[in-house]
Amino acid sequence: MHRRYIIALTLALIAAGCSQQSSQTSSSTSTSASSAATSAAATSGTTSNAAGGTVIKIGVDLPVSGADASIGVPTQYGAQLAVKQANEKHLVPGFTFEADVLDDAVNGVHDPAQGAKNIQSFGADPAVLGVVGPFNSNVARAEIPLSNSLQLALISPSNTNPTLTKGPDAVAMRKDHPDQIAYFRVCTTDDIQGPAGAAYEYTKLHVKNAYVVDDNETYGKGVADQWEGAFKKLGGTSLGHDHITKGQQDFHALLTRIANTHPDIVFFGGNSSTGGGLIRKQMPDAGLGSVIYAGADGISDNQFLQDAGSTADNVYVTVASVNAAKLPAAAQFLKDYQAEYNQPVGPYSANAYTAAMVMIRAIGEAVKANGGKAPTREQVLAQLRMTKDFPSVIGTFSFDANGDTTNRIISIYEAVKGKWVFVTQQNFAGSP
Amino acid sequence: MAIFLQQLINGIAQGGMYALIALGYTMVYGIVELINFAHGDVFTLGSFLCIAILALLGVSASGQIIAGWQGALIALLVVVLAALLCGVIGVLIERFAYRRLRNAPRLAPLITAIGVSFLLQGVMRNWKGPSEISFPQFLPNPTFAFGGVHIDLRELLVVIVSILMMVALQFFIYNTKLGKAMRASAQDRDAASLMGINVNTTIAWTFFIGSALAGVAGFISGMYFGTTMFTNGYQAGLKAFTAAVLGGIGNIAGAMLGGFLIGIVEAMTAQYISDQWTNVVVFSILVLILVLRPSGLLGEQLPEKV
Repeated sequence: MHRRYIIALTLALIAAGCSQQSSQTSSSTSTSASSAATSAAATSGTTSNAAGGTVIKIGVDLPVSGADASIGVPTQYGAQLAVKQANEKHLVPGFTFEADVLDDAVNGVHDPAQGAKNIQSFGADPAVLGVVGPFNSNVARAEIPLSNSLQLALISPSNTNPTLTKGPDAVAMRKDHPDQIAYFRVCTTDDIQGPAGAAYEYTKLHVKNAYVVDDNETYGKGVADQWEGAFKKLGGTSLGHDHITKGQQDFHALLTRIANTHPDIVFFGGNSSTGGGLIRKQMPDAGLGSVIYAGADGISDNQFLQDAGSTADNVYVTVASVNAAKLPAAAQFLKDYQAEYNQPVGPYSANAYTAAMVMIRAIGEAVKANGGKAPTREQVLAQLRMTKDFPSVIGTFSFDANGDTTNRIISIYEAVKGKWVFVTQQNFAGSP
Repeated sequence: MAIFLQQLINGIAQGGMYALIALGYTMVYGIVELINFAHGDVFTLGSFLCIAILALLGVSASGQIIAGWQGALIALLVVVLAALLCGVIGVLIERFAYRRLRNAPRLAPLITAIGVSFLLQGVMRNWKGPSEISFPQFLPNPTFAFGGVHIDLRELLVVIVSILMMVALQFFIYNTKLGKAMRASAQDRDAASLMGINVNTTIAWTFFIGSALAGVAGFISGMYFGTTMFTNGYQAGLKAFTAAVLGGIGNIAGAMLGGFLIGIVEAMTAQYISDQWTNVVVFSILVLILVLRPSGLLGEQLPEKV
């Protein structure tokens, strides 16, 4: 009797221990279920005329829970809106699109291993002809080799690390099919974003002495190095460069060290989910409350504003994309997005919309070339590589030989009273 | 020099929190020889409960400041309630997850402890979501500066509360009947029960006190950092456990010493080496000390086994 009780208890606790795992998966599947429901609802309005054509799925892999949700969810909405409109407008006659949504965040933070799993599950579904995602560069690092070997198109709305498409690292990641790139992106890269931010802060905010901190991730360290290099080239001084560790909560010691060097700007390379907001929150404790805080797109979200609270002031960020509100071509998109989701767009909603639209166009072309039959993944990829002068809500662009966009626009935002306010944007189309 | 003192303050503040959590580890280990891995999560749960209690009192994270005796009263009320609730949760964990396994092979309660840790994390994750959540910093935060060194009220609060708690605990263990019963049960459970000590009740009290201290740590950590997250207990618990081992597990003064030491080493590493090396340095010191002094700095206090 006694022993049986123990066994039952142990089993119950093991089950409880596992429940964390299962709750993660169930929450991620529930998001996908609910979004599948929305997309199903979206398609159901059109199936009556489309007479239920063949279903083509577009995978969407973004972090949509936890600290990454405040930037991930509006991005996901962008992709879903594109799918919905493609069905309403019958962009590809005889076919119905469906967004298959997965979450790559584990315990609320984007996770490369989860991203890789998601690509594998998209790969296993023959109806999936392309994927929009991922959001984070370290997740992309895990996904690009898979998408390359599966020859499954992957279009990121927001990966900005340059080594994903250029240089020896990029070549190593596409070793299965070196000449047949399968990874594209619609935003520009950190070798443009970092210097653009540095130039703005150096010339417009007149800061000369910087302290750089990053989260040691692919994206965070990359953009911090780019920013620091450009800042020094402009004539600024880098007082130091520190890296923080994952899950770190206490930054008082680091900030005391920083305060002792008397910087007039602290630059953070990383995400809100990896400490961007917490550092800002603790800066006043070390006497750095009035020092300018700058970062890149990783902290341009609402989670940052929430974490930093009353200290979210005097903060400047860059976003590797156009501000959609400034483009006449995006007016209709902004209106539709507002009507559909009853909230303003996020920094990467228009990019995700564009990524999904360019995918849908490629699928449409592939269908045409295939005599009206459903194309293969390779055929879709071939069309994507030929993308030229595609008119989109973020401007007209082409993909270059590496899969990078020719559209190189950086916009700058400032946090004012708990809101992100657009400051300016610059086009770097001519730069190498 | 000023920067050294400033980092010392940072280290003591962080170390005070480690020490408070380490006390729970060390008390429980001293009496039942169980590494209660769920303890770090009880600490985080303390922060979460404080947020909930503050919300009930109408204090939100909007940045409102409640000065004077009202603020002090609210702080006192919140910390006492959170400590009591955490204490009760600690007792329940002991009653349902550990008591029946007390005489089982040691691996069984250890695995159970990990299970309870996941359970608590899962509950907190579903309660508040998997991201950083704001902790209302409702007390005014004046800064006191002297000779280039500044200390603000929050840091002062952390240090004072943790030292106060430790002194009270030390007094309790050595000067009360229940404290005596705890020490007796830790020394020899069977002999203690032959002497008329209710061992089950004594162990339950140990869990209550340890968990209540974790609840207090949850409050001061929330006030100090202004945010919390459901996974924080894992890191903090690991560091606190290290502190307990460093000082000599089962040894209450050792846990305090270990906690402050780890906090100070972390701050100094961030200042004089690099922030990313803090964990490496902390755990290297742990390895060194265990190699040179396997029983920790102040020596273990464990039941003698024949």
